[in-house]
Amino acid sequence: MAIGSVATRGRVARRSWKQSAVGSWITTVDHKRIGIMYMYTAFVFFLFGGIEALLVRTQLATPNNKFLSPEAYDQVFTMHATTMIFLFVMPMWTGFGNYLVPLMIGARDMAFPRINQLGYWLFAFGGLLLTVSFLFGAAPNAGWFSYAPLTEATSACLQNPLATDQAATLQAATQAAQGLQGCFSPGLNMDFWIAGINLLGISSITGGINFIVTILRMRAPGLTINRMPLFSWMIMVMSFLLVFAMPSLTVASFLLLFDRHLGTHFYQAGAGGDPLLWQHLFWSFGHPEVYILILPAFGMISEILPVFSGKPIFGYTFVAWSGVAIGFLSFTVWAHHMFAVGLPPIAQAFFASSTTLIAIPTAVKIFNWVGTLYGGHIRFTASMLFALGFIVMFLIGGLNGVAVAVVPVDYQLTDTYFVVSHIHYVLFGGAVMGLFAGMFYWFPKFSGRMLDETLGKIQFWLFIIGLNLAFFPMHIMGLLGMPRRQYTYAPNLGWDQLNLISTIGAFILGVGVIVFIVNGIKTLGFMRADAPGDPWDAFTLEWATTSPPPAENFATIPVERSRRTLWDIKHPEDPEWRREH
Amino acid sequence: MSAVISPIETHAEGEQHTTRSFGWYGMVFFLASEAIFFANLIASYLYLRIRITGMGASWIPSGVELDKTLPFINTFVLLSSSFPMHFAARAIAKGDKRRLTIFLIMTVILGSLFLSGQAWEYTHANFNPSTGVFGSTFFTLTGFHGAHVTAGVIFLLICFFRSLRGDFSKDRHFAVTAVEMYWHFVDVVWVLLFTVLYLL
Repeated sequence: MAIGSVATRGRVARRSWKQSAVGSWITTVDHKRIGIMYMYTAFVFFLFGGIEALLVRTQLATPNNKFLSPEAYDQVFTMHATTMIFLFVMPMWTGFGNYLVPLMIGARDMAFPRINQLGYWLFAFGGLLLTVSFLFGAAPNAGWFSYAPLTEATSACLQNPLATDQAATLQAATQAAQGLQGCFSPGLNMDFWIAGINLLGISSITGGINFIVTILRMRAPGLTINRMPLFSWMIMVMSFLLVFAMPSLTVASFLLLFDRHLGTHFYQAGAGGDPLLWQHLFWSFGHPEVYILILPAFGMISEILPVFSGKPIFGYTFVAWSGVAIGFLSFTVWAHHMFAVGLPPIAQAFFASSTTLIAIPTAVKIFNWVGTLYGGHIRFTASMLFALGFIVMFLIGGLNGVAVAVVPVDYQLTDTYFVVSHIHYVLFGGAVMGLFAGMFYWFPKFSGRMLDETLGKIQFWLFIIGLNLAFFPMHIMGLLGMPRRQYTYAPNLGWDQLNLISTIGAFILGVGVIVFIVNGIKTLGFMRADAPGDPWDAFTLEWATTSPPPAENFATIPVERSRRTLWDIKHPEDPEWRREH
Repeated sequence: MSAVISPIETHAEGEQHTTRSFGWYGMVFFLASEAIFFANLIASYLYLRIRITGMGASWIPSGVELDKTLPFINTFVLLSSSFPMHFAARAIAKGDKRRLTIFLIMTVILGSLFLSGQAWEYTHANFNPSTGVFGSTFFTLTGFHGAHVTAGVIFLLICFFRSLRGDFSKDRHFAVTAVEMYWHFVDVVWVLLFTVLYLL
């Protein structure tokens, strides 16, 4: 409209702001641009979460440390987990999925481009809302799983957010101290959490629906579901988990909101409610959530290992369907987070069994990956190193996870640093290593530029050394009884050196991230955009187009006859479809 | 029924070609997610109720009266609203725009009647959200459903005004299909809520 009216006035047509550099990104509905925005934003939050982690580790480096105040410490460790889970890993997967899934399945965009755009902006503003809470001195501070009744308040004791005088704060604190019924979090902290988490939840559900419809309905002719690249498979399973698990979190947080502001009693034991209801609702979201965080990494590894081994994936069907099995089982294991709350023995037996069961499809994947490597012509690129590191680190995280699925062991280890070690081996050793494997692999596709391999390998070794220094001692701290989330600790409990080693490891990881940033700036700022369409001699369809792809992805919609379409194109004498049947 | 939103319609080899639009599939998964939302609410309700009655206390606090006559009438009103909704969708599938408009506004009227009944019930109840866990769950479950009905009525009104403007045709009326799916879903949820909240 703007262009037309300007032109009729006989002047040089000005460009509408939507065509300007910034405006075109703000208004874009293109899946590749939205994917890139997701990845950039998530990376910024990764830096926030990383700084929070370093603050936590600095505080814990020495006994009786007063580097942070106790109040600040609570906010920082809560926001570290919240940021890394909701604002970094989840949107990072959505970003990769957005960029890659339509390319992998030979589509021109996602099924719902505008809902895709909505999902991004909900995520951006939800993340902003959670993060600006620091400016109010009221960041969420009850741990990332926000257990009731610690998060409870009643309208009688809520602080007026506009009243800044000390008297009101003091009065609320006194009421809380006197144990006024259900008054533990009178500040705005939890309200920021509820608001932010709900925006992110809606964003995730829209993203999940979009991926499911895209994958089920927009595959190129011939690309049956059993020929689809495994990354797309795992994004699909992740999407089902998003659509079916996020509502539990929405319900849980709305009930908390009503308890705090409308006088209901859902989680208030004194009034007939039950704090355990929070734990049931939260973990029936929370356990599918951890598979949301790891499944796309499984998918990436299943793309990268075959390419750099020069072989097709070993046992494609098992890799795909074990992901589906993990997805189903993930809904049946939530109460293994709650063994210490006094569940009936039959429930404990059930949840311990289902949790052990989930190790089977996970092990199937690991064996398939090893089988893929076996006898391959392995190229040790940075991406491949991260993928190999992923397998080993994730294996450690998986094994120490199965250990705490055993109820008597869990009684001893629950809420200790052993659990912190477990989640960091699966989420840093797993999700983040997988993410960087994917980042080095697909970066040329995103940007048309190759990341520096040497810097990548330096980063890999910093990560491997740093993460084992940071997280392995936590096993021992946990066995020695160090509780998680505590502000500081007395000297000579046997935890001093272990904590110091862990802090050193965390800072090595920080250096690794800086190496990656240098790599990114060097590549994007100083390298020519001359990456070929297929720099890795890969197999799947996203490499069949240019790097970066044109707006429409493919000039003509490709027809697929096998799982490795690009191999078929490059090797017409030995096409894969001839081997399949 | 062809795609309003779909940029390209491809279908894989060997699969039946369907005429369902992408939007239809999107609605199915959206409603599945909504169903899980209400399932969580109902599960929480049953969890708290079984817990309290298991401790020997009565679920409805003494002195509280839960009137069932109006909710019965309201249930009848909401369920009957599914008929004009269905006929509206059938009408536009045959290209009958006049009947579409009439049946849409009938659905809006019945939906609004239901909401008015619920408002009357809220204002005349002798308990509130703080009246034990009973009050908390009652207002939360019916409130979330009421919010969904309100959203549905707004959605229907948008479709009604669009139908007056002549936006819909035999081949192009996905919004009507979507609101029909949503409205039937909200109806089914009410049947479940009515059963657990009033009859159980």
